Amino acid sequence: MRFIRAAAQEVVGLFVGDWAQTLLSVAILAVGWLALSRIHVIGLAFVVATALAVQLVYATTVEARKRARAH
Amino acid sequence: MYAQVLTFGAAFLGSAVESVEALTIVLAVGLTRGWRSPLYGTAVALVSLAVLVLIFGQLIVTKVPESTLKLIIGTLIVLFGLRWLHKAVLRSAGVIAMHDEDKSYADTVGELQGTVARQDWIGFTIALKGVFLEGLEVVFIVVAVGGTSGGLPVAVAGGLAAMIVVAAMGLVVRKPLAQVPENTLKYAVGLILTSLGTFWVSEGMGATWPLDFVSVFGIAVIYFGASRVAVMLIQRRPVPA
Repeated sequence: MRFIRAAAQEVVGLFVGDWAQTLLSVAILAVGWLALSRIHVIGLAFVVATALAVQLVYATTVEARKRARAH
Repeated sequence: MYAQVLTFGAAFLGSAVESVEALTIVLAVGLTRGWRSPLYGTAVALVSLAVLVLIFGQLIVTKVPESTLKLIIGTLIVLFGLRWLHKAVLRSAGVIAMHDEDKSYADTVGELQGTVARQDWIGFTIALKGVFLEGLEVVFIVVAVGGTSGGLPVAVAGGLAAMIVVAAMGLVVRKPLAQVPENTLKYAVGLILTSLGTFWVSEGMGATWPLDFVSVFGIAVIYFGASRVAVMLIQRRPVPA
């Protein structure tokens, strides 16, 4: 039972570190889907990539700040 | 061509990193408690992982329509890759400790000291659990990247090649492979997976990329640039008094 629980946690942990960050990434993809399915401009998906990249910068700096405060 | 190379590369590098971690556990158990039981545990874990690849690989390749596959698996690859990139940024900035195989090895050996029975269930279970849990990430990378790119055999070959290389190195040196630049490899795999995932998920949404697959390199530049900016911002922040 403990092994199955550990495996399940491992599977969820593959995609989710912090639920807020994961939801933000999913929200960016959802907005991107909405935009990409309506506006057919070549290369528009680079905007989605840039938004995800900005999210990465935001999420990592926020976590670094939290860890610095905790110490 | 580029897709096949990146598929092989992602599977090879991802599998290599996880194989190094699994090897550390198996070596710690084997050298402390004898080899028979941990090798049985490793074999059972590897067979289970192979079954997972076969089942999910077949399901993905034969049952799921291409656009749905790109949308769903692409999203999962993006989330998975961003997790690895996130950790890589924090490690590069010195916020969290670099993964240290020597320390992992010493910790596992410390936990395993004691008398050993003829049928060593502890050795068997720890090797099985270690290899299986580390291998789950490899299964995901191989199935997701291989299935979405239409190159499942290429991804499986990449994963297997890495496992064989790491196992051979482990046999030769008989100690944890602490010299493997594990953190750099994880950074590279995070970049590749996030870029591939973004490319596929956007295609699943109906997007058209300029120069088709070559755009993956442009996406990788964006993520690499962002990760370096993040490291720089974190390192520039003054330490609170």
